[in-house]
Amino acid sequence: MTTPAAKTSPVPDTAGSGAARAPPQLSDVSVMIGGQGGDGTLTVSDLLGRYFRKRGLYVYLSRNVLSRIRGGHADASVRGSRAAVAAVKTEVDVLVAFDKEAIEIGKAELAPHGYILYDSTTFQVDLPNATGFPFATLVGGPLGQPIFKNTAAYGALSVIFGFDPIETRSVIEERFQRRGGEALEKNLKALEIGRKAALETPGLADRFSVADGDAHDFIMTTGNQAVAMGFVVGGGRFFAGYPITPATEVMEYLQRYLPAFHGVVRQAEDELAAVNMIIGAAYAGARVMTSTSGPGLSLMTEGIGHAGAAEIPIVIADCQRVGPSTGQPTRHEQSDLSHLANLGHGEFPRFILSPGTPEECFLITVDALNLAERWRLPVILLLDEALCQNATTSRRFELDKVRIDRGERLTGDAVAALTQYKAYAFTESGRSAYAPPGTPGVWAEITGNEHDEWGHVTVNPTNRVRMMKKRMEKMIRARDELPRANLFGPAEARIGIIAYGSTVGPVREAQGLLTAAGTATKLLQPRTLYPVPVHEIDPFLQSVDLCYVIEHNYTGQFGRLLRETMPWHHTKLRALTKYDGSNFRAPQIVAGIKEVG
Amino acid sequence: MVDSAKPVPPIWCPGCGDFGVLAALKKAALEMKIPTHDLVLVGGIGCSGSIHNFLEINGIHALHGRLLAQAVGVKLSNPALTVIAAGGDGDGYAIGMGHFMHAFKKNASIVYIAMNNETYGLTKGQASPTSQIGFEGNIERPFDAILTALSIPAPNLIARTFSGDPKTMIQVLVEALRFTKEGRGFAFIEDLSPCVTYNDTYKLWREKVLDVSKVEGYDPTDRKAMFRICLETMDSGRIPIGVMHRPKESSREGLEAKLLGDADGPARSDISVAPNLGAYQKLLAGIA
Repeated sequence: MTTPAAKTSPVPDTAGSGAARAPPQLSDVSVMIGGQGGDGTLTVSDLLGRYFRKRGLYVYLSRNVLSRIRGGHADASVRGSRAAVAAVKTEVDVLVAFDKEAIEIGKAELAPHGYILYDSTTFQVDLPNATGFPFATLVGGPLGQPIFKNTAAYGALSVIFGFDPIETRSVIEERFQRRGGEALEKNLKALEIGRKAALETPGLADRFSVADGDAHDFIMTTGNQAVAMGFVVGGGRFFAGYPITPATEVMEYLQRYLPAFHGVVRQAEDELAAVNMIIGAAYAGARVMTSTSGPGLSLMTEGIGHAGAAEIPIVIADCQRVGPSTGQPTRHEQSDLSHLANLGHGEFPRFILSPGTPEECFLITVDALNLAERWRLPVILLLDEALCQNATTSRRFELDKVRIDRGERLTGDAVAALTQYKAYAFTESGRSAYAPPGTPGVWAEITGNEHDEWGHVTVNPTNRVRMMKKRMEKMIRARDELPRANLFGPAEARIGIIAYGSTVGPVREAQGLLTAAGTATKLLQPRTLYPVPVHEIDPFLQSVDLCYVIEHNYTGQFGRLLRETMPWHHTKLRALTKYDGSNFRAPQIVAGIKEVG
Repeated sequence: MVDSAKPVPPIWCPGCGDFGVLAALKKAALEMKIPTHDLVLVGGIGCSGSIHNFLEINGIHALHGRLLAQAVGVKLSNPALTVIAAGGDGDGYAIGMGHFMHAFKKNASIVYIAMNNETYGLTKGQASPTSQIGFEGNIERPFDAILTALSIPAPNLIARTFSGDPKTMIQVLVEALRFTKEGRGFAFIEDLSPCVTYNDTYKLWREKVLDVSKVEGYDPTDRKAMFRICLETMDSGRIPIGVMHRPKESSREGLEAKLLGDADGPARSDISVAPNLGAYQKLLAGIA
């Protein structure tokens, strides 16, 4: 619950070209790598991330790729910091360019002390703070292929940053050891080629140095991987999906993880089939999930409504991207919430849960599985592109926090003690016990048509009202079981911020900048977005003079939900939104708050 | 004895072809001695899809066209269950066409009975994918499910029956149930099931159906021969019925067998943490 103090990079003194003075030290460093798709920019960011982790830094990797297999400009950025950051740094310290576009795009983001390292094989730039090496040619000769240019660039970077040569090398060994002899050997050679070129260039070595950190017992992961792991340890054994960016990795991880547990992963013919396959599997008694993004979610809407009416426990991970329609498949947005809160025709209960870090993705996926089965309804895990795909340092996932609660699930023994079995029985708790097909001695009718306690179709008005209440009141009865909000910042702060999902990362960093400038803020991160946790948000809003609701969409979707559910706070709420396809950076939030006033 | 959901009286019009399927299903299940609690019927939307309400069975009413996706989910989740999907021609061949085609390819061991009456009965007699030209102003050529099924090179059991011939229907259903019980794959039965109210074809179909097993060269293991026999029968103005494809191999080709072998499957796994702890620790150790 600590607000990380924001670290502004000390501006290094580069006047002496590092010759006589000690190299300027950065405690928060950002490297941007740009090139054509296939140039290996992601490999460079991965290698740097690995090195920074070895030095105890918190790492945040982000990528900006196009929705195509090869070609087109793509860039990646890697940040290493002594502070626990979960956002892209605003200013780039070193830009690595494999194409001209990288320089055009990256120049604007370069810090005043920033430096450009580029591949001069096909182009030259005339800038005072840039050095070009023909990496493709340098490696192409001895190694036979220009593709190792990215590792050579990593080698040159290691010289610029004054990295420890042994650890620089061991990063390559770790990264390529699984690929075996030749790949490892060639990458090690490329590393040395890059290092040699940089070392032989006067004034390049030790231009910067990066301070070591103390973040050691951490893992590096993404939200998508965390969701897949949470699904397995939460007892998930059946997954069906359809490939869609940025959700596909959840399916890919589970294809690797689940067979060891006799679980099933199927790639369906479309999202309609995917959601209906998990409905069938959940009806039969398995813990299930699908993952998708906007366009797939639109197709799944039909099935999610059916699960709500027929009381079938399913979990849907929505990895949000830019919408509507195909939108921008690889870009970041949080614009599905309004759809999800109102999703489907007719009325049915649903829970929308919102983790903000990989660790929360892991644990809240387990919560989602428990809640779905206990309350027999669809649960939506609301994720976003940055959370799903940007790799960050994360605390280790802890198994002793994992609990399995299957609700009133009936086994053969429990059934034998019954006189009757009604799959939709009205009960005190509002939950009906369920015996999956195959349970000896009992069977049931399960349907999305309005039904009585036995599952028989009926239009009886009294029954209709009771069944509607039975289903809808789950959203009230389950209140205290839903994931609780996090609070960051001093209780006495009079300026509030509400943010969720990956936006929490840059907001927490912005809180540090605001505190340094004399403005105290407190941040409420609701981890259940629907039903709106009025019991958590109302007191928070009462305790502040005004509150910024910061999210990635045009209309301020969560803010609108807050106005709808708590109109008495209408005048306190300010919307700060961004919908350009990239996630917030801390200074943008500080500037935005000033601008909104 | 625990009281479970009891069957309700059918909603069908007197004389509906679907009664034939209901009676045949009861007899076939009885003959196969499948315990009620192990029988699952996934119903589609439409008159025929309500069949699960009229049987003592685990019934689940799927969304329109989605019954095959749900049925495959049920089977892969618990392979010990006997899973039957049943719906109409509108459900399976129009809104559910994508899932229909993929069901052959997936080859999960489930029985699918498509009751074809060449109309949308429940919504009062609109043209369906199998309607003849001229029916309710239909100007599109009818779709043929058997030819489509034969075109997908998977080891499925493929048959067409007629509600006016209950004896053959029971025989085919028993074969289909046995086929899926043995984990051999997908069993598709199209039943010609007249809609007495909007498209009463009993008399016409009784005259037109032709038992393909009586045609020279009949060999259900020979896809090419059966394609030719079906086309020639149709060209002569008749409707081919009988078993149209029966794979030569008797191995467990079912999707559930390929994925799970003899494992219990997702629904019957012990998912509590304790027995899985070692495996979970190993899994988590995979991210560094």
